[in-house]
Amino acid sequence: MLNVNRLKRTFNHDTAGFQDINLSVKEGEIIGILGTSGCGKSTLLRVLSGLDKQYEGTISIENGSNNQIGMMFQEPRLLPWLSVKKNISFGLEKEKRNTDKYKTYLDLVGLTDFENHYPKDLSGGMAQRTAIARALITEPEILLLDEPFSALDAFTKMQLQDLLLSIWQKKKTTMILVTHDIDEALYLCDRIFILKGQPGEVYSEVSVEKQKPRTRGDAYLSKQKAHILNLLNVEKKAAGEQK
Amino acid sequence: MISETHKWKVAQRASPQKLSSSKGIFQLGRGILIGSILPIILLVGWEIAARMGLLAAHLLPAPTIILEKIISMYQDGSLFGHISITLTRVFLGFAIGTVAAVVIGAIVGYAKTAERLLDPLFQAIRSIPSLAWVPLFILWMGIGEPSKISLIAVGVFFPVYLNIVAGIQGVDRKLIEVGRIYQLTPYQLTKRIILPAALPSFITGMRSGLGLGWMFVVAAELMGASEGLGYLLVVGQNTYSPDTVIASILLFAILGKITDAVLKWIERRSLKWQDSITNQG
Ligand SMILES: Nc1ncnc2c1ncn2[C@@H]1O[C@H](COP(=O)(O)OP(=O)(O)O)[C@@H](O)[C@H]1O
Ligand SMILES: [Mg+2]
Repeated sequence: MLNVNRLKRTFNHDTAGFQDINLSVKEGEIIGILGTSGCGKSTLLRVLSGLDKQYEGTISIENGSNNQIGMMFQEPRLLPWLSVKKNISFGLEKEKRNTDKYKTYLDLVGLTDFENHYPKDLSGGMAQRTAIARALITEPEILLLDEPFSALDAFTKMQLQDLLLSIWQKKKTTMILVTHDIDEALYLCDRIFILKGQPGEVYSEVSVEKQKPRTRGDAYLSKQKAHILNLLNVEKKAAGEQK
Repeated sequence: MISETHKWKVAQRASPQKLSSSKGIFQLGRGILIGSILPIILLVGWEIAARMGLLAAHLLPAPTIILEKIISMYQDGSLFGHISITLTRVFLGFAIGTVAAVVIGAIVGYAKTAERLLDPLFQAIRSIPSLAWVPLFILWMGIGEPSKISLIAVGVFFPVYLNIVAGIQGVDRKLIEVGRIYQLTPYQLTKRIILPAALPSFITGMRSGLGLGWMFVVAAELMGASEGLGYLLVVGQNTYSPDTVIASILLFAILGKITDAVLKWIERRSLKWQDSITNQG
């Protein structure tokens, strides 16, 4: 579905960004990109979403229709002058914008009674729900998520992870989820790419062979977590030895 | 999810009701009451002082005399003529100045080349004290309506222009990226993101533009006019009648306040989405 070959985007004479990324994502997969901050995760999503066009390498997307890529940022990025329902409809074509297509997605994210509220009256979690609905209403082939829950409190975060999972179960949207939360990656993703370095490269790939929905913190996930922590530790040691 | 929704509803219920409720009106009334204590004392003091002959009547007549002057102008029909001609001038100048500022401001704010080309020129022109234009405009266009209206338009133009440019350039890059994710064309991006985001700044510009418009109409009418509130000022000065002068000052103040209140009302209506102190509760 999505193939990325030797993708590279660096800044400041190859000292930041990412390089040599090869990925192939199958339809309906949830891919995790895990890495410490500053290793180019956001840059990677900006390149994949088309916001940043100065990259090297190739990106190819199969059965590419027009609005093929959806994006969710760490902040909700709602338009403050639009009500919740108009924010949700924002990405639709003009003719569809005034229909009640938004209702399905409003209900999907659990904001049924809030369609006429303005963003200033929403909590962080509700704003992010609105952003999820806005990203989904255009029915993108691939949804890119850049640390979408990292600014939320632990409880709201878990609720929204479950929401994302239930949406995935209904729509089987292909997703690429950038995160620095190992538990989140293990709970949601089928495969996790671990990025390291400056510029970031894929250091390791971890498959999570477990049916979703998963139980948080079950034995298998704990084992994988230890494995990933170990990988990240090795990275630290290696960095230390270089100095 | 339930807890989050619930929390919100509780917060909404606990927050004070809309201003239209009786409590809101009561508070508003109390504000007006407190604010008018001092002016009333001053007015009464002034009236008493004038009646007792402490103030020279040919310099500062009593408030009742000024009121009588306004009423007599109303009765002989001249009041309406002066007010309407002044309002027309302000309105036309304001409209022309604002439209010009929107068009040029949008281009300068949006296109980098246009900014480099035009902005230094406008900044230079802006540093000319605006009243210095008056003789030039009268030389160019005579003392008829065109010179007055152009003068007001120039006064209105700059605050509106500066605020529009600042508003457009200050639009959050993060919101523009949202538009780019949905592949908006530059036109759609302007219409759906940049202009709404710049609206608060635009309205601020309009309000200060209107204030300058009132200042300039006085200047224009002082220079030469046969009608209008500014003309009344000149007449009052030439006929040694301070009541006429103070009456027209008062009328300027009232009209200025009313037109600003109209803009303020538009501001409130179109910016109710803003997360500001005035919008709370
Ligand atoms: N437009 C840019 N110009 C220069 N440096 C940039 C730019 N964008 C990102 N960077 C740098 O690239 C590095 C990686 O950034 P980012 O992709 O945001 O990391 P992450 O999301 O993994 O925390 C950072 O050090 C950042 O300073
Ligand atoms: Mg990031």
